[in-house]
Amino acid sequence: MKVLRRFVYPYIVWAAVMILVPMLMILIYAFTKEGNSVRNFMFSLDSFKRFFSDPVFGEVLKRSLVIAVLTTFFCILFGYPAAYAMARSRFKIQLVLLTTIPTWINMLVRTYAWRGMLDNKGLLNTFFGLFGVGPFKMLETTFAVVLGMVYNFIPFMILQIYNSLEKIDKSYLEAAADLGANRVQVFLKVTLPLSLPGVISGITLVFLPAVSSFFIPKLLGGGKYVLIGNVIENQFLTAGDWSFGSAISLIMAAVIIISMYITRYIDKKTDPEGGAAL
Amino acid sequence: MKKLIQFKNIVKEFDGEIVLKGINLDIYENEFVTLLGPSGCGKTTLLRILGGFLDATQGEVLFDGKDILSVPAYKREINTVFQKYALFPHLNVYDNIAFGLKIKKEPRDIIEQKVMRMLKLVGLEEFGKRRVSEMSGGQQQRVAIARALVNEPKVLLLDEPLGALDLKLRKEMQLELKKIQQEVGITFIFVTHDQEEALTMSDKIVVMRNGEILQTGTPTDIYNEPKNRFVADFIGESNIIDGIMKADRQVIFEDKLFECEDTGFAENEAVEVVIRPEDLDIVPVNAGKLNGTVRSVLFKGVHYETIVETRSGTSITVEMTVSDSKPVCNPAADEEMSANDFYLDVTDIEELTKADIIARADAQAWKTSTEELVSISKVEYEIKAEKGRYPVTFFTQAGTMTTVEMIVDDVNKVDAKNETIYAVNIYKTIDDIKESIALDTDLKTWANAQAWTNDGEDAVAVTDVEYSFDPENIETGKYKITFKTRGYEYKIDTTDKYEEGMRVGLDFTPNDLHIMHKEGGGR
Repeated sequence: MKVLRRFVYPYIVWAAVMILVPMLMILIYAFTKEGNSVRNFMFSLDSFKRFFSDPVFGEVLKRSLVIAVLTTFFCILFGYPAAYAMARSRFKIQLVLLTTIPTWINMLVRTYAWRGMLDNKGLLNTFFGLFGVGPFKMLETTFAVVLGMVYNFIPFMILQIYNSLEKIDKSYLEAAADLGANRVQVFLKVTLPLSLPGVISGITLVFLPAVSSFFIPKLLGGGKYVLIGNVIENQFLTAGDWSFGSAISLIMAAVIIISMYITRYIDKKTDPEGGAAL
Repeated sequence: MKKLIQFKNIVKEFDGEIVLKGINLDIYENEFVTLLGPSGCGKTTLLRILGGFLDATQGEVLFDGKDILSVPAYKREINTVFQKYALFPHLNVYDNIAFGLKIKKEPRDIIEQKVMRMLKLVGLEEFGKRRVSEMSGGQQQRVAIARALVNEPKVLLLDEPLGALDLKLRKEMQLELKKIQQEVGITFIFVTHDQEEALTMSDKIVVMRNGEILQTGTPTDIYNEPKNRFVADFIGESNIIDGIMKADRQVIFEDKLFECEDTGFAENEAVEVVIRPEDLDIVPVNAGKLNGTVRSVLFKGVHYETIVETRSGTSITVEMTVSDSKPVCNPAADEEMSANDFYLDVTDIEELTKADIIARADAQAWKTSTEELVSISKVEYEIKAEKGRYPVTFFTQAGTMTTVEMIVDDVNKVDAKNETIYAVNIYKTIDDIKESIALDTDLKTWANAQAWTNDGEDAVAVTDVEYSFDPENIETGKYKITFKTRGYEYKIDTTDKYEEGMRVGLDFTPNDLHIMHKEGGGR
């Protein structure tokens, strides 16, 4: 074992270079002004001042959070029943595979496909046209963005919940039935609380990418639908203001850490109380 | 007492396999009933059918006179203590116990009252707020019992609930369970494979095997009057001896007539006689009813388990010729080959194959450099069906060869009164003996030693191998090897320690003998 421990060192070096250094650079950029050189740091809080003084950015951040919360909500709403059905099905492996397969294809490509479906002259509107309704404007709406995100991220939610449902020992369900609980009661009092850890980790896996996603709002929301991820992307790729981009990233990170903390707090609260908080 | 549960011809099939073969069983109110049997006997299946977790393929279960097979588990007035307790991990001890009452929507204060009473009953008053994972196995066990009992079921099912506990705790819980059952006064149905547990706690024991009930009765009944060999063996230690019932109260075994207290057997019926180890007494030689030699003594804590052999088994002696012959070398082909002479029975010649010859001569060839085995490609021999010595030559593809002799002789066996033992003379090299890691077993294999009963030709184990050489320092020469079967042995519980090899007498009284019909024989 001691010999094996030596193999860890290259990894530590690798992790330091690949993870720590970029993060440090973001930190440095966020707290400095434009025009830095290696020898010449100019400490400044300008980027943060700019973010908080212009109400537009707060608006964008709020919108991003709302979209992410909506996405997470719908992922649970549709993902839980799907996971539950999968866990009780005879074709578990096939269904897990079916859930996973879409993620093998590039997200960008799949999101483009939705454009084709949601367009005014797209697949869905053509279909509605057959019945003489529509066309509905779907592309470049909140609906399209949330739909795109739910579509892209729901497999993570389903698999997390499925895993935690699978882990529940059947004897708990039998014990509940033995103590007089009917099917609905067994679900509400035993299955649901015991699967909450899966829901919590599903939330983490969905909320994080949803809040910082930039290409889904870009593709499905159109140029007008700006989320915080787009602003960051813009600062780096178009505006070339790395300091401001880094500052927004840091603010985002803070928001995420706070929201994760809240989730964990809820998780802890529900665990011993048995879903009493629900 | 009133019949509470009646199983009527319960059959259960799993994927075409019948695990319950028509169970009929009545269980009364306030009874502590134990379903006892080895794993796979169907006891848990029967319990799960009663609990409502499995459907019966056929048959009826009457509960208070009503068929309950169509009633779902949650509506049955039965609660279960599961094998691994199945305590809800997300609830604390109090909420686990309150689970059933909350489902029934009983008022909060009533729930609290009942849960507190249960916690008190199982001695866990202080532990209500604890998480289940913080409890020890024994405590979890009590919580599981409390969680079931708080619902005031008419029947409590317990599925091997003590299996996960250590011996001391298990004994404590046995007493405690019995106490709880007497206190709450309801029917307990307890499943276990532990006969001691069953004897300690039960009012009634149901012995099961292969999906059938073998015997139902009180612990004393089952212990003292087992119906057949399986029950006698499963419930406690026992000596089981073949005998013949001469007349009522007269049984013959070991060629002697003994008095017993059993009646109702046919004249000259072949029976099995059970004598419990604690019923036998060791007395001086000729002072008892049988004589024998102490074979082994095992310390069991409170007593010694002494094995006395009253009649030795059948034995046969063969001759082993040990040579120091070395393998044949063929440097040209980088090969070596070894084989030994061997004995054959006249009767074996007809069916003799090359594979047999290779096996019996232990013929092997290998690469000198790598020790990789090389196959023997050709066996040349001529043989006639009469006594004599016949050469046999083994070849490999590369031309390495060695010749040994097959010695054909009469069948070497000893016919005793009831069994036959057989073995052949062997030839071995010093290396064979020295390299053997399990010499007794190897000698049995080499000499093909085997024994069987004369009626039915059932295999009898060859238990002892005796020889006078020292395997570590063996030299060339001829050695005698004796193979033996086990004789008549009696297990006796004694408080004194007897020396191995001592001649002793055995004594018992007529009521120590319990006569059983032979299994499979007429009832």
